[in-house]
Amino acid sequence: MKLGELDELQNAVVTKLEGDHRFISRITSIGLTPGCRLQVIKNDRNRPMLVYSRDTMIALNRKECEGIEVTGVEA
Amino acid sequence: MSEKTSIALLGQPNSGKSTLFNALTGLHQHVGNWPGKTVEKKEGSFTHDGKEYDIADLPGSYSLSANSDEEVITRDYIASGKADVVCIMADSSQLERSLFMTADYAGITLPCFLILNMADVAASQHKAIKVSELEQKLGIPVALISANDKKEYDAFFKALEKAVSEKKRLNCESLEKGYSEIEGYEELKSLIPENLINGYSSMWIASKALENDPVILAKLKNAVDTQTMDKIDSIRNNVQGAVATGSAKFSWIDEQLEGIVARQSQKVTLSKLDRLFTHKTWGKPAVILTVVLGLIASFIPALPLMGVGMAIASLKAPVASALVSIGCPDLIVAFICNVFIQSLSFIFQMLGFVFGVTLVFGLLEEAGVMARVSYVFDNTMGKLGLQGKSVMPFLVSFGCTMGGAAGTRVIDNWGQKVLTIALAWAVPCGAAWSVVPMLSTLFFGPGAVLIIVVILLTMILHMYITAKIFGRGLVKEEDRFGMIMELPPYHKPKWGALLRYVLGRTKDTFIRVTKVVLLVCTIFWLLSYSFDGSSEPILYKIGTAIEPVTKFFGMNWQLFIAFIASSIGKEGALGVISALFNGGNFSGAFYDAMSGAELASDLNTTLLSNVSKPEALAFIFAITFNMPCVVALAATYQEIHSAKWTARIAIYYTVGALLLAMIAYHIGMLIW
Repeated sequence: MKLGELDELQNAVVTKLEGDHRFISRITSIGLTPGCRLQVIKNDRNRPMLVYSRDTMIALNRKECEGIEVTGVEA
Repeated sequence: MSEKTSIALLGQPNSGKSTLFNALTGLHQHVGNWPGKTVEKKEGSFTHDGKEYDIADLPGSYSLSANSDEEVITRDYIASGKADVVCIMADSSQLERSLFMTADYAGITLPCFLILNMADVAASQHKAIKVSELEQKLGIPVALISANDKKEYDAFFKALEKAVSEKKRLNCESLEKGYSEIEGYEELKSLIPENLINGYSSMWIASKALENDPVILAKLKNAVDTQTMDKIDSIRNNVQGAVATGSAKFSWIDEQLEGIVARQSQKVTLSKLDRLFTHKTWGKPAVILTVVLGLIASFIPALPLMGVGMAIASLKAPVASALVSIGCPDLIVAFICNVFIQSLSFIFQMLGFVFGVTLVFGLLEEAGVMARVSYVFDNTMGKLGLQGKSVMPFLVSFGCTMGGAAGTRVIDNWGQKVLTIALAWAVPCGAAWSVVPMLSTLFFGPGAVLIIVVILLTMILHMYITAKIFGRGLVKEEDRFGMIMELPPYHKPKWGALLRYVLGRTKDTFIRVTKVVLLVCTIFWLLSYSFDGSSEPILYKIGTAIEPVTKFFGMNWQLFIAFIASSIGKEGALGVISALFNGGNFSGAFYDAMSGAELASDLNTTLLSNVSKPEALAFIFAITFNMPCVVALAATYQEIHSAKWTARIAIYYTVGALLLAMIAYHIGMLIW
């Protein structure tokens, strides 16, 4: 499923990244690569999503989240 | 070694690069633009242990790819060999992610060393980092410091000296092992001989080719024959390269950090402050309140300079009488008092505000608060092609546009910075607010409230249209991607270094602003000065000659000249009107009015008997949306380093104000 479909406080693993060259470069450089674990901290409409991954709180524009596929996992 | 050593500072945004740079260089820094590029260039120098060092603060970027001017400049600078050593900064509280820049650097041949900053934040998160073991694994000098604590700089200097003397490169064997598992990597690398492109190893080039890096591909195309290039193209097109190399880099980082960082596991929670800032309903009010409080706090450091400004103004009368008593010609007395002293007083008062705003918002930036502002306003500002932080200069501009312009220093993209200033000009500043409500009440009574509402709506529309007009040239469509950034942990800013930096910037601003203001004010003064005492000044002649045209915009010559005068400073506009309608000595009255002389007590009657309601409406819109003032113009130039864009914005606003006046006038004619 897409990252944006996760609920707050849900844990997930990134499975796939899709998007143009710039997006891929940007999203990997902030640490979101396939196999990496993350936790959704905030998911409010009209605000960027907040996810916590690799020791970092990351803010992601909702449109950008479309290109991030994840599977939910147990905490 | 008598030669100066050159250091290039490399790091992701929020890694504390600027803090370190400011602390090392203090006032010995120079800010300009990279040649031919619209990216800010910061260079400085310092001495340690009798050795001299030059240091360049490379533009903040997340990686060494080629997605923005910032990244390309960073890479080109490193490859150019201008630096002897590269200092890579990482955030020790988020080591896993922030070592990405180091991983991306691996394979570049210039020696480097690693500074793990924010030791204080890491310690507060109970993370302990085994520095010497990491140093062994990476093969380069590593130091753990807090850039906001100068006592810890010894470790930095030791690592620097070691890097300079030993010239070590990053150990990248195991990274290459990771790369070699990527489909096509080995084949690609075999096509790229070592030393093919200066500064990069074949491993680095092969990995960038896999990432479809356009700049490296273009360089490769020049360096190899067509057949080889075709092969390279066919390999790199087969794989989802950037994702694979990105994963390899992070696996490498995980491997390096294994057993290096000891931590107590903690549940991830937002701090109380972040819960407020990220709140659905309360986030925006909280951010606006923060900025407004910051604005108020800016007045505290501003007051001394503002006091100096006022003291300078009070010199006018004694200086004038002293000059007259020694028989100085009228022209010179008028110039010294009305132009020189008056301008200096004006500049100092505004400069106080700039100093306060730069200091307070610099502190908020360093403390991590501006990142929250960005988060909260990302969606709203994104519609204008801007980042969330732009909301701060807009709010500051309600007080003073020059402060707003200075506030754009926290925006790291030049195009967005220029666009932010261009839009901030549309925000009516404190001077407009001191004139407009009074004029509106005089002419329209309780209707003034409606006028103010319409002004605010016009402001929003103006900003929207201006964003459309200027946005295309300033922020390229492909640069308009949504926010992908980290919210850095809050941390204590470094007062001393920031204060020195702000003082340095204020001094630069003073020099540049003074030049522009004196130039503009002198020209204006010459136009309004009556040289033989009896003939009419040029401004009067022009004003009356083009009155048929300005009438179309709803302004007779008096109002039009007051409009022109409001480009210098809006506070004086009313005084100018009263001076012009009352006749008398044109230039004397004019300059007294501009310098804020007491308004004539019969101003209200003068205005009501000489100006019709539609004309008043036109004038209100004209001065509200005219360029803010000559000091704001100069500050804009100081911030964006581009005379071309400064002129464009100024002309755009002058024309825009006249158009708005015309619309207001003709609507007024329909009503009254």
